Amino acid sequence: MFGKILIVDDSRVARMIARKCISTVEKDALLYEAEDGLDGVGKYKEIRPDVTFMDLTMPVMDGIEAVKEIVQFDPRALIIVATADVQQKTISQVMEAGAFAVLRKPLSPEMVLKVFQDIGAGRG
Amino acid sequence: MEFHAEQNLTSDEHDILQEIMNIAFGRASADLAEVIDIYVELNVPYVQTLDVRELPSYLATELAGHESVSIVEQGYLGKFRGLALLVFPVGAGRELFSLLNGGDQGGAESTNMALMERETLMELGNILIGACVGKIAELLDDVVTYAPPRVNVEERPENAIVADLFEQNTLATVMRTVFHFKDRDIDGHFFLINSSDSFGWLKKALYTFMERYA
Repeated sequence: MFGKILIVDDSRVARMIARKCISTVEKDALLYEAEDGLDGVGKYKEIRPDVTFMDLTMPVMDGIEAVKEIVQFDPRALIIVATADVQQKTISQVMEAGAFAVLRKPLSPEMVLKVFQDIGAGRG
Repeated sequence: MEFHAEQNLTSDEHDILQEIMNIAFGRASADLAEVIDIYVELNVPYVQTLDVRELPSYLATELAGHESVSIVEQGYLGKFRGLALLVFPVGAGRELFSLLNGGDQGGAESTNMALMERETLMELGNILIGACVGKIAELLDDVVTYAPPRVNVEERPENAIVADLFEQNTLATVMRTVFHFKDRDIDGHFFLINSSDSFGWLKKALYTFMERYA
């Protein structure tokens, strides 16, 4: 379903968890990684992934800023925010910035499968 | 002073613990936001291992710029065990009390206000420490109990740690995050300090956590 997937997270462990969950669901996808929001924006422009998983609390550039920049560059970007910060206000800000969905960390294959099904069905 | 490898955490173990702390404090902030109408801006948590004798100077450095602070401290006891510290600048308790009280500090006498400030800090501590430590324990498949919290108002930062709290000549793991109450312009510091007697269990628990994603 998705050929290229970008994971943006400053935590090596969080990227490892995301890789495992995504590859369980989407076995043939090529996975790319970025270590902060700025790196994520750069990699997005270079790779043009089908889906991007984005953390929020990151150094250099935070996830909300990165979502805004990516959406400005590509209004059709599919960005899934994976975050530990699940305050309602944060979720509102993320969705207003243009994310497709917010997932609560730690990710699980079931959560990834559900959000991919939602993308397939065209709803956030 | 040399420490044995089993007393220390590796770089991988630090990374795993940092992500677990990130998850746990994020949950704790959401719990707090549900109880009071406040938005908590989070920073990237940081984990490091220190000689316990360095803890007072470490705290003084981390809290530089604050001559005195208000501290909520609470011990937690399980396989995951240590001391939680929630530190605010002096006066933050009053600000936060007014938030809990619908913006009104309203005519409370100074003795009552001092009491209310303590109660407010204790309640914030209960929510943030309980939710954060509880989530870490859950992720590491442990159960913790808590000592009664203590609030020290107008304390010097370096006095936050009781000198004989941890066995001397050992290491401690310090998990730290700084957060900001938006619209109130209040910064808080949150520390979880684990003594090395839980390191053996902690190392195994961290790898067990990651095995789910291997």
